[in-house]
Parts: sequence; structure tokens; C-alpha cells
Amino acid sequence: MPIIVNLDVMMARRKISLNELSEKVDLTLSNLSILKTGKAKAIRFTTLDAICKALDCQPGDILEYREDAGNPNLVT
Amino acid sequence: MSKSNKFVFQALNVVSWIIFVGLCIEAGALVVNFVFSLFDPEMVKNLYEKLDLSQMYNLNKWAYFGMYSFILTISVLKAYLFYVVIVLLMKLDLEKPFSSSASGQITKISYVTLSIGIISYIARQTAMGLMHHGFDTAPLGKFWADSKAFILMAAVVYVIATIFKRGVQLQDENDLTV
Repeated sequence: MPIIVNLDVMMARRKISLNELSEKVDLTLSNLSILKTGKAKAIRFTTLDAICKALDCQPGDILEYREDAGNPNLVT
Repeated sequence: MSKSNKFVFQALNVVSWIIFVGLCIEAGALVVNFVFSLFDPEMVKNLYEKLDLSQMYNLNKWAYFGMYSFILTISVLKAYLFYVVIVLLMKLDLEKPFSSSASGQITKISYVTLSIGIISYIARQTAMGLMHHGFDTAPLGKFWADSKAFILMAAVVYVIATIFKRGVQLQDENDLTV
């Protein structure tokens, strides 16, 4: 069940860097990078809440379900 | 990690090294004895720890070589077992113990232990069979006296290794939870 993390897209839309987001959501750069590159196996609601607040968006803007595989930003 | 835990692990490390060196000496002495006995059959009377297999050697050389091979294999495997234990103790980080390398080492310990147990059991049965044919195998008993204990230990260590493997998976998931 492939889940795509569109964090980089939302960050580009809001013109916010990884460093800025890291400070706003109080997450380490390495953890944000894990999330951005799709290596994360799970995401806490508190993290999702903080990211949505910082980027002024909905969880659906960050996470997307797509059946086709082969995307590097996939979380399975 | 508490001080007592640290102390226990350091003590375990030292004890493992001492046992490993002892087993290496034993395995080495047995190998040297075996090589010498090939060239000088008189050596068979006075092997490692005054082991006298001259009666077996004179009755049947192949029985002697077979039984000695069992002794050698068991000694080398015991030394290897403690080598794996030392590697495990050196690699184990008690702050983050669930690593794939530690899990692999524990699984290896269970396999080596099982091998020792099975080989010891086969050797003991063979020795008993030879005894019925008039061979004096009594002095060899000490080399495979604990075969059943090794098999039981292998089973216990295998269960621990399986639990540890699951622990590694959980730690991986935890590490990749943002």
C-alpha cells in the first residue's frame, strides 16, 4: 500500500526551507529528512499536527495514496 | 546503564576471554598431538592431559582417527563458540542493544551450540558402540559428557535469538517513526 509523502511539494509552495520547518515543528533535520525522502515507517499525530500548523495545510496535502509503485517518496 | 550492569558485562567479557584462551590452548594442543601421533605412534600413549588411546590405536587405527576427529571438532567448535560470544560482547551496546549484528551473533551462537550438542551426542553413541566391540573409550567420556546440555542450551539461545530479531524490527520501526 504505497503512501506518498508530499512534504517537499508543500514546503516549496509555502517557500519554507527544511531548517526553518525543523525549527518550527521542533524536529531534528535528520527526522525531517527521513520523512521527506519517504523512508519513514510511521508518523506521529503530534508530528503531523505540528507540520500542518507550520505549513498551514491539511494532512491530505502532505500524505497521498497512490497504487502505482516505483516512486522514491513511497512509504510502504 | 547502571554501574552494576556495566560491571557484570566487563566481568563477563574477562571471563569469556579467559575461557576462549583456555579452549584455544586445548584445541591447539589436541591438533599438535594429532599431527605428532601421525608421525610417531608412540605419542598415542601420552596425548593431551595424559589421554592414552594406545589400546584403540592398536586395535583399529580408523577407530582412533574417527574418535580423535570427534574430539578435535568439538574442541574447535567450543573455541569458536566463545570467539562468537566475545565478538557479541564487544559489539553489544547496552544503550541500544537491538542491532542486526548482535541478533546475527546470537543466532550464530545457537547454531554453533546445536552443532556441538549433536556432534557430542553422535560421538558419545559411537563411543558406546565401540565399547561393545572391546575398545576402551572410557577416557574419552569427558569430551562429550554434556551433549544434552548443549542441545538444550541451543534451544534456549535460539528462542532468545528469535525474540531479539523481533526486538531489532521494533527498534528499526521506532527509529523510523517521525
